[in-house]
Amino acid sequence: MSRILSDIIGFGKQYLRSKVGAFFGFIFPILLVLLFGAIFTTGGDQKVTLPVQNLDDGPYSEAFMENLTSTGLVKIEEIPRDADLTDYIEDESLTVALLIPSDFSERVQAIIDDNATGFATVTLYADMSQASTYGTAQAAVETAAVNMSFSLSQTRPVVLPAPPQSIKEGFEYMDFFLPGVVGITVMTNSLFSMSSLCGEYRQRNYFKLLATTKLRKYEWLVSKFLFYSIILLASLLTTFAVAKLAFGIHATLTPLALVMIPAGAFVFVSMGMLLGVVVKDPESSVAIANAIGFPMMFLSGSFFPISSFPGFLQGVATVMPLTYFNNGLRDTMVYGNSVSTLMNLGVIIVLGAVFFVLASKLMSWKER
Amino acid sequence: MTGGIVVEVTDLRKEYPPDIKAVDGVSFSIRSGQIFSMLGPNGAGKTTTVEILEGLRSPTSGTARIFGIDVSKDYSPMRDKVGVLPQNFEPFDELKPWEALQYWAGLYDRAMSRKEINGLLETVTLSDRMNSISKKLSGGEKRKLGIALSLVNNPELLFLDEPTTGLDPKARRDIWHLIHEISKKGTTVFLTTHYLDEAERLADDVAILHKGKIVATGSPRELVTRYGKMTVVVLTGAGTEALREIRRRGIEATEEDGDVLVPVKDPGEMRVVFQKLSGIDLKVTDMYTRRQTLEDVFLDLIGSKMEEGVLRP
Repeated sequence: MSRILSDIIGFGKQYLRSKVGAFFGFIFPILLVLLFGAIFTTGGDQKVTLPVQNLDDGPYSEAFMENLTSTGLVKIEEIPRDADLTDYIEDESLTVALLIPSDFSERVQAIIDDNATGFATVTLYADMSQASTYGTAQAAVETAAVNMSFSLSQTRPVVLPAPPQSIKEGFEYMDFFLPGVVGITVMTNSLFSMSSLCGEYRQRNYFKLLATTKLRKYEWLVSKFLFYSIILLASLLTTFAVAKLAFGIHATLTPLALVMIPAGAFVFVSMGMLLGVVVKDPESSVAIANAIGFPMMFLSGSFFPISSFPGFLQGVATVMPLTYFNNGLRDTMVYGNSVSTLMNLGVIIVLGAVFFVLASKLMSWKER
Repeated sequence: MTGGIVVEVTDLRKEYPPDIKAVDGVSFSIRSGQIFSMLGPNGAGKTTTVEILEGLRSPTSGTARIFGIDVSKDYSPMRDKVGVLPQNFEPFDELKPWEALQYWAGLYDRAMSRKEINGLLETVTLSDRMNSISKKLSGGEKRKLGIALSLVNNPELLFLDEPTTGLDPKARRDIWHLIHEISKKGTTVFLTTHYLDEAERLADDVAILHKGKIVATGSPRELVTRYGKMTVVVLTGAGTEALREIRRRGIEATEEDGDVLVPVKDPGEMRVVFQKLSGIDLKVTDMYTRRQTLEDVFLDLIGSKMEEGVLRP
């Protein structure tokens, strides 16, 4: 244990003194939070899945759903009527959902018959950080409302979307975006650092040098995992504090979120080691880490919702560890969905264990 | 002072497919307290041999024992007794020398006090640089730090793989002094080098390695006595014309950078040579005698000179 501690301290000093380490550990996620928080707005026009809870028995809600489908922007999935919508959104970790109230048809009929004033409304619940999904769903609902109003009255609006609701009361864009930033930070620090570190250690004969001490290979691996866990936990706390101060976020720093960080460090440190071990040339290992890491950054739901991707890319996303990390962190910090978090955590730990075992088997400090 | 056998190598071989023999049946032994130097050009098999002894490579066949223990078995009991400065050592860039020592000691389960660290830095004459970031140290200082790291576990046997390669003359002399000081404290030193003067100056025993085989072994003086011609008469600036004339008189001679070198075995032969030379109209700028060195022995044994580890015709 003392050897692991010595290695953590020795390596830690080097890491923190290298400006690259400090940048990617602390400044990079803060920049992302501030930058994206300031500029990220709605966008996107992909066909997205829109779960709808229709509590109305009348004909007009069916007509509204047909109008929704005919926009070509959304694919409707029905939410059971007896489900509590808030619980359902949390349990299924939905990023968007539409509620048609039970008096929808009755209200539409009353307006047409001039027996009521105002409009019949539907309510869109959305994860506003998933700008593309939210924007597409909102456009579909507004289009369907206009089309339906025009076909029923031609002179005045009958159906209008109510102001969109965040899927969690009081939650804002940054609440949903923060887990993505943390995910990227965990991945870039662990994966990129470890692949280049392995290359550097091999090139500068540090592995050979370490092999002449009493430090064992597994102790070195464990020390790197522990070091990155500590640094990334510190990074999470700092980034969370900045997001709280700058944007007043409502996302919660749950115990499970704190468990997700070492799990993420485990999977990406192991993955980086594996790359650094398999690819002998240091520059190539960094290039391959970039080739894997950058697409993963964008395809794992850090910035854009996976549901807005073409089918084959959604398939690709399911094999990326960062997808499970982002989902797990969002599930616990935003939705408070512990079951889903634990499932994602399980996937990460299993993947991490596979990478770790492979890396430690293939890594050799000695010459053959 | 030297004592019992610390390193014993018998018919050691290391082969790589398809048919590369990096080490080809090497045998030697090192006594406690000795400075043993393995001398040879690049690619001779020095580092392969030393890395087998450091537990970093496995031999193809043969045995290598340190403190009586076979190195191809479990090496871990030896880690406390062995210090290593690898070839082309580079320190961890961002650590200060004292931090590097503290870190390295931890990897041997040792907690070094600040006093011990200061003492070790003083030994390697790095006290005034203890708070500099390692990447800012000079080449010689980095190598000294490497030697300090190899000493954190107070080793009984120290492997120094080409400790002065690439250093300027002053830094080389500093390292030589340091190796002498370490040896005086009783540490056995295994030194690989391609500098003939380094081996000659430092080593108690030398093994000359060429193409994976030991071609000669013994103390520098023994090697010079056994293989050398003891003394050389140097005719400075005599040139090719004079060489031809000298050889015509039956005197064995060679030319080196415009100088003519005439080897003589003993004073009797020297008298005969001078008598013969007196009959030649030599145009020389200087004439003197010098003892043969390991360099001459190397040239005789290998048939080439060695510059920075590379053999020259």
